[in-house]
Amino acid sequence: MMVRLNTDIAAGLFGLAFAAVLWLPRGDMGRLTIMFPRAILVILALLSVALVVKGFVRPGERRVEIPGSPTRLLVVMIGFFAWWAAIAQLGFLVATLVAFYALTWYLARVDGPVEGTRLLKWTPSLLALVLVFYFTFKEVLNVRLPTGLLF
Amino acid sequence: MDMLLQALATLLTFESLITVLLGVTAGLFIGALPGLTASMALAVLLPFTFSMEALQGLIALGAVYMGSIYGGAFTAILINTPGTPSSIATTFDGYPMARQGRAYEALAAATMASVVGGLVGVAFLLVLAPPLARWAVAFGPAEMFWVAMLGLTLVASLSSGSLLKGLLGGCIGMLLSTIGVSPVGGETRFTFGFPPLQGGIELVVALIGLFVIPELLNMAAEGRGALPGVGELRRRDTSIRQVARQVFGKPVNLIRSCLIGQIIAIIPGAGGNVTSLVAYNEARRFSKDPKSFGKGNVEGVVASESSNNVMVAGSMVPLLTLGIPGAPPDAIILGVLLLHGLRPGLDLFTQSGVLTNGFILSMGLAALMLLPVGLLGGRLIHRVVIRTPYYFLLPGIAMVTILGTFALRNSYLDVGIMLMLGTAGYFLRLIGIQAAPIVLGLILGGIAEQGYVQTLMAAVADPVPWLRLLNNTLSKVLALLVLVGAATALVPIWLERSGRLDKVSQEDTP
Amino acid sequence: MFVSRHTLAVAVSALTALTFAASAQAEYPEEDITYVIPFDPGGESDVTARFQEPILEEELGVNVNVTHRPGGGGAVAWSEFQNSAEADGYEIIGVNLPHIIGQPIERSDAGYETDDWKIVTFFHSTPNALIVSKDSPYETLEDLVEDAKENPEAITLGGSGTYSANHLDMLRFEKEADIDLTYIPFSGTGPLKGALEGNHVSGLFNYTMLGTEMDNVRVLAVASEERVKALPDAPTFKEQGYDIVGGAYRGVAVPADTSDEVVERLREAFATANEQIAEKQEPLGFVMEDIHGEELDELIATLREAYEPILEEAKEDD
Repeated sequence: MMVRLNTDIAAGLFGLAFAAVLWLPRGDMGRLTIMFPRAILVILALLSVALVVKGFVRPGERRVEIPGSPTRLLVVMIGFFAWWAAIAQLGFLVATLVAFYALTWYLARVDGPVEGTRLLKWTPSLLALVLVFYFTFKEVLNVRLPTGLLF
Repeated sequence: MDMLLQALATLLTFESLITVLLGVTAGLFIGALPGLTASMALAVLLPFTFSMEALQGLIALGAVYMGSIYGGAFTAILINTPGTPSSIATTFDGYPMARQGRAYEALAAATMASVVGGLVGVAFLLVLAPPLARWAVAFGPAEMFWVAMLGLTLVASLSSGSLLKGLLGGCIGMLLSTIGVSPVGGETRFTFGFPPLQGGIELVVALIGLFVIPELLNMAAEGRGALPGVGELRRRDTSIRQVARQVFGKPVNLIRSCLIGQIIAIIPGAGGNVTSLVAYNEARRFSKDPKSFGKGNVEGVVASESSNNVMVAGSMVPLLTLGIPGAPPDAIILGVLLLHGLRPGLDLFTQSGVLTNGFILSMGLAALMLLPVGLLGGRLIHRVVIRTPYYFLLPGIAMVTILGTFALRNSYLDVGIMLMLGTAGYFLRLIGIQAAPIVLGLILGGIAEQGYVQTLMAAVADPVPWLRLLNNTLSKVLALLVLVGAATALVPIWLERSGRLDKVSQEDTP
Repeated sequence: MFVSRHTLAVAVSALTALTFAASAQAEYPEEDITYVIPFDPGGESDVTARFQEPILEEELGVNVNVTHRPGGGGAVAWSEFQNSAEADGYEIIGVNLPHIIGQPIERSDAGYETDDWKIVTFFHSTPNALIVSKDSPYETLEDLVEDAKENPEAITLGGSGTYSANHLDMLRFEKEADIDLTYIPFSGTGPLKGALEGNHVSGLFNYTMLGTEMDNVRVLAVASEERVKALPDAPTFKEQGYDIVGGAYRGVAVPADTSDEVVERLREAFATANEQIAEKQEPLGFVMEDIHGEELDELIATLREAYEPILEEAKEDD
């Protein structure tokens, strides 16, 4: 998918927005603490303005290409955050099993509909993969993975 | 010489050889998992070494260290994710090679380069440790500031496309590095009243987010794996011998990268994160065909991987002679030395010379061991990655990414930060702001800030405080290098823009 | 944030406690203990914990898992612990003085309080020490003080961190001696050694360990009550007329509601661990301690009294 967008202006505006977010809370900091970030903030703001100006005067790329399907992009993007949120609620193991299944099913549909038998066939390798990583991290590396109600 | 032979004899026992082999293998896999760093690998191993003799414990730690720095190359090449920060530069050409179906070639080249790098580092450590150590302590706050500035000149070559956007990315990275507790001053910054943000944004978290997540999102959108599958794989059949010819056929690149690796490794605080980037940059600068870098030039992989493996033994120069850890994992090795009653210093090379030399030689052995372990392991992992359908691969990589990010600091928030940075990184890449300059800013921001503020603090009693930044010869030389570096990076861009290089680049791409 | 597995465990053990009220407590510990280190792997806190781990496991009869939760100079882990750890003795956390005194005063968003837990014991301390290199013009502490009187602010002393044990005691020393020095914070002891070796600072205000680890240095003064075993020739500040005793203390804490039996059981285990570790750590400059109960409250009160005015003053300056 092609989107018409002046990337110079977009990047410049992003830089200005980023600078603004950090500019606001700088007031109550000590001299030594703010010295460096303030200098960088000023440089960032100048660069951003330069980009915006350049965007009007001599624009660079004016189209943005999103390769592939924007829907799938969005779904997987949201899926990752849902996975993260689910870890806090269900614990790492359960959330990951659910997310793994859901993502695999959703992505495999690109090649055509996925029957129940195929999903079933995947189960052993899928379970093995998740469990191997889960136990390696939990038992060998002593990582305290988030737990849910059961695991 | 006697000591070296004695040390060699203690190494050539079955027990030692097995320790090295297991250490290298374990290190390789830990290093290959994004989020699990070399420091972490060593920390997990530490309790096991308590029951061992001093030498045996050190051998194990050295082998794991060597293996894990090398292991980072695997994920860098196969999924565009530096497994450890020291292999960032490996992604620049390694991943494009993989996308062209040349993944195994890249892996083999990385392996050979790592072996050479590892051995060179060991040689330096054996022969030149005391004089090099003097050079290491010459880097004070002012010099570190200039080192960071020198690193920032890399932005120009890392920002493919627009220089302004590259600089913008660098600034964003530096600002991200200021979140949390300020290194000088001790106050918290930019936490927005949210206590967990006192921990700041950990480099590895940002690295994983900015490199992996956009790649996964791309894979999802395109609905296929990023690497050519078995069927599409060109039957080029690159043999090991051909790769060897590519790697060793350009010895200048190899030598230059090793030297850069060694010089930077002994500057405490810069470490492997920067070595590979600088080596990559110089390889590109001196290449006859700089435009091919970033598009799958094997020289880029060789430069990055040889320099970061020099660092393993190289960073132990200040450690063994002065007790100054050159890179974070060295701190753990220092701990082990002290616990066994071994005080860093020249005594270490004389009184306990057999042990010290044994340890150093064992790292050389570990470097050699990378060859079989790496080539076999590389073939195995490569096969797994290209044979796995993308709908398994994507959630699989995502899972490892989440686990690794969490494990780094046992932090749930870090996983969220990683996802947010990754998502932002995807869109920033669309508008031309690449991940590499952001990460570079994140690495160098802290170094630059600390050096700058410390220098000015030390100069409170001076009439003109900022002159301290150019107080001695070394800082003046470094400042000059920054100017030269910036100029050589900017002039070609300027020439190109004014149209004078058009002809040349057209000839390049017939 | 998480509904912990321990919630279930607590519910179950509460039920058991109703039926076997007497025996339930005596059985602690019966599951694995998580020992959180709020700093990076490889630091002194971490290495000490790795030492304690096998001894604690033997003493308590369960696994002790050391995990890291670094960030914000410890504050991230401490605020998380005070907000969410279960008071069952299965989650313990390393605590450091003066960090837990300084951070809550100095930061508005530290996220935890100095007293909102039960500190089991401080198992060792590392006294501050003023260290110069062998070829420094300062032979004694007096030399340094005299030079400082003539050239205020010109003497630079490197230390670890801002408003850390090093920094705070250096500020105390300035007051006691009525001099002006310049303190330069570094991150950790590695860079500090380099700064001294490379003559980037006039001296270091760091810990005793550095005096034992480095070859060509002179320890001008140690901030302990008595001379430290590993540095028998280094005089204390007190001997030389400056009333400065301070340094970093490492200990371990459990949530505020934890029962006293559990605390006592843990304290004994840590004391045993200390006995076995002593021979390795004492030569390095550590001072083994077992500060608990009233003595611990007194220590915190004394240090808070000493540091609070300095911190408040610094806060107003900014």
